[in-house]
Amino acid sequence: MIRVDGVTVVYRERAALRDVSLTVEPGERVAIIGPNGAGKSTLLRVIAGLLRPTTGTVELAGDRVDRLERLAVARRLAVVPQLPVLPFATTVEEVVALGRLPHEHPIRGMRPGDRAAVAAAIERVGVGHLLGRDARELSLGERQLVLLAMAVAQAAPVLVLDEPTVHLDLRHQVEVMDLVGDLNARDGTTILAVLHDLGLAAHFFERLILLDRGRVIADGTPAEVLAPARIREVFGVDPSFVRLGV
Amino acid sequence: MAAFTRFRARGVDVHPIHFGGGGRAVPLIFALAVALAACTGAGSAAPTPAPTLAPALTAAPTAVATATPAPAFPITITDDEGTVVTIAAEPQRVVSLTPAATETLFAIGAGDRVVAKVEDISPYPPEADSLPIVATYQGVDIEQVVALRADLVIAGGLGFTPPNAVNQLRSLGIPVVVLYAESIDEALAGIRTIGMVSGKATTAVDLSTAMQAEIDRLSALTAGLDRPRTFYEIDATSEIYTVPADSLYAELLVLAGADPITTDASYQISLEQLITANPSVILLGDGGYTTAADVGSRPGWSGIQAVIDGNIAVVDDTLITRPGPRLVDGLRALIRALHPEVRL
Amino acid sequence: MPSRSRILVARPGLRSGASLARRPLVVAAIGVAFLLAALVAGIAAGSVAIAPSETLGILARRLLGLDIAPTWTAAAETIVIDLRLPRVLTAMVVGGGLAVAGAAFQGLLRNPLADPYVLGTASGAALGASIAVLIPVRTLILQFGLLHALAFLGALGAVTVVYRLSRVGATAPMTSLLLTGYAVGSLLAAGLAMAMYLSGTGLRQIFAYLLGGFEASSWIRLAVAAPLIGLASLAILLRARSLNGMLLGEEAAAHLGVDVRRERAILLALASLATAASVAISGLIGFVGLVAPHVVRLLVGPNARLVLPLAALLGASLMVGADLVARLLGEIPVGVVTAVIGAPFFLALLRRAHAGYEL
Repeated sequence: MIRVDGVTVVYRERAALRDVSLTVEPGERVAIIGPNGAGKSTLLRVIAGLLRPTTGTVELAGDRVDRLERLAVARRLAVVPQLPVLPFATTVEEVVALGRLPHEHPIRGMRPGDRAAVAAAIERVGVGHLLGRDARELSLGERQLVLLAMAVAQAAPVLVLDEPTVHLDLRHQVEVMDLVGDLNARDGTTILAVLHDLGLAAHFFERLILLDRGRVIADGTPAEVLAPARIREVFGVDPSFVRLGV
Repeated sequence: MAAFTRFRARGVDVHPIHFGGGGRAVPLIFALAVALAACTGAGSAAPTPAPTLAPALTAAPTAVATATPAPAFPITITDDEGTVVTIAAEPQRVVSLTPAATETLFAIGAGDRVVAKVEDISPYPPEADSLPIVATYQGVDIEQVVALRADLVIAGGLGFTPPNAVNQLRSLGIPVVVLYAESIDEALAGIRTIGMVSGKATTAVDLSTAMQAEIDRLSALTAGLDRPRTFYEIDATSEIYTVPADSLYAELLVLAGADPITTDASYQISLEQLITANPSVILLGDGGYTTAADVGSRPGWSGIQAVIDGNIAVVDDTLITRPGPRLVDGLRALIRALHPEVRL
Repeated sequence: MPSRSRILVARPGLRSGASLARRPLVVAAIGVAFLLAALVAGIAAGSVAIAPSETLGILARRLLGLDIAPTWTAAAETIVIDLRLPRVLTAMVVGGGLAVAGAAFQGLLRNPLADPYVLGTASGAALGASIAVLIPVRTLILQFGLLHALAFLGALGAVTVVYRLSRVGATAPMTSLLLTGYAVGSLLAAGLAMAMYLSGTGLRQIFAYLLGGFEASSWIRLAVAAPLIGLASLAILLRARSLNGMLLGEEAAAHLGVDVRRERAILLALASLATAASVAISGLIGFVGLVAPHVVRLLVGPNARLVLPLAALLGASLMVGADLVARLLGEIPVGVVTAVIGAPFFLALLRRAHAGYEL
């Protein structure tokens, strides 16, 4: 469970977040949307404990995140990172295995349970056909899936995704979103995703939080949040909705 | 760097950094006193003190008569770097790491006990030619020194023998005496020290006394003569190198009847300074690398008085800088070059 | 060295679609064999010929305490026990320490071209050593002189300055560290040039230090430096988890549970300590700290739990081997040997690594 209470973040004389409050219950599937510079990524970093808010608190499962050790945070919350640059040749398994860092023995490393979790994550996300490959040589979509597998291996009750579909083609976008939905439905993983694609957000998420210039403008179902007037006002765009066949 | 390499290559014992060797007389006197005390204290029935200070006028090793001399070892001396060195027994296997020490050891009759030497570009004496070489400009072969069971090493100060090597030998229990000389007094004291540590103290003292007497005699011959302004060239391939003011070189040049152009501890002098000093005599210590004719053709040198008059002579640099028994020969060579009219 | 080229050929190239080979046990076995061979060769060879049977006898008698009647001279025993053995062991410790430090820097800076000297440690040590040569103090404490002390302090001082200068707010981002390291290193190198210019006869000593060597090794120096290097390396090894976390970058590392600020400071300090102690006793020897972890990573992957100990093993063997070669070629500086062998080898590695896919 995530609770954000009155968080304001002032960063380089600019208020990135203003008095943001929200609560995410276990098992929810939430998308954070908004125009560029709205503060979406900042909000994620505050929730993950990477950024200390100027005012306000964040709680993860009842504990204040700024008082938790990084390892404790990592066991409660897994973040699928943006595509990083790998400096060395790293196999797909090795990347996914990194997800076990908060669980493995600090000195001896992975235990049989950890190895099983890695195998399960690879299977679950469906990247088994990429085993043994250098992660640097994969396509963007494949790499994103591998990172997702890593986050799955981390086995945290909350899964956070920051623009996971930015570099992906349509097929991989749907693949990632389907997976995320599956993790939520079958494992009860709480999902928190920052998305720029309103269509994806509306289709795959039951709850949307709309941010604009650091404030929460709307918080509710897609139908509630994506009112045409609001879209016009926040995004500056005249929306037209196309209803696709089921 | 090239100039200094050449210094070494020609066997010149150059010591560019002046570490203030003025205080060396004190430790030497102290060492002699200790030696004296040790000799008398070592106690036998012989009441006469060890004859280390008996004056003699010859340099040849002579047997000293009267009573059986009290044993000279063990002795403790302070070397030129201020390190206190104890030599337990009379050394039988001496390693010489400076060309000057090699010459001295042979001159005082300890040559048969020298087991190895440093590489010498101007080797002397011929009896030392067959000795194995355990040190070059690169460094000292410690393993060889150990394999030769050396019981005394004489090393060169001011970095001539790498300090690391000196420390390592000492840590293996081999006594190392580090010597260097920046004046005639220091050179003679070094000879006496070598004599003391190799068990030939008397002979060494005789030698140094004789050398001092000859030096005094030679300098008296030039005392009243005109002193030509003299430039002693150590090297001039890139920078110009000449003698520092407080060096053995300068002292010898003065005693040989010259008014030497001197510089500071860097050994360097600019061409402008040289032209301004306008020497009337140029002595080439780098005669192996240049000739009198070459000097004249160097740009900017043609206006110097010595070049105009053709007063350029080559001298054997080794004799002048090596603080060993042939130092007197060096003085003679200088006088011959500066005042050929003097009958030596 | 034939074994190494065998490994290179056997390893599948990094071509698209090919599987990356990871054989840690094989590499470990080969590494141990290498090290033992290098140690044996290092003790057996020198400017004085000592029969292998005598060498073994000396070692058995002095190290194992076996009661063997000596068939060798006391001089031979001194050479083996007091000259060759500490020298070879010092090379081993320094090689291992530099390799571990190099691996740590490569992991922290996420740059396979980083080496232990990347943050100015080399320049700082060199400047410290050259200043020491200018000062005519000759006292030794435990056979460490002013040169060792100032080299050590210079190395640590340089890294501290680089770290402080590269701080942006409360963190010192890695690119900032690299760039500051370069700038400070250049400044220190200028200072070194000045000191060398002023040094006179000391120039020879400074050069000898810069090019590195193990001639002056002794048991006492080893006894002081080895625990320092060993403990620092061990402490880095125990933090392999943090190094692994850094693979995907600092933010991802934080998400995986690494206290990035703390771990980075600790790892930098430990790696700098191992490097400073190594350069203090053996001068600036390059390439081992760069090549050893790099080669190991190509063979077993980037897992720091494997890379750190195996790089230590390889680095130790390389250093002992290089010292042996230097000795046999007439005591040329070890740094020259590692450069002459390391540079072309490294170029070959780069070419193979980049064949087959675009950057």
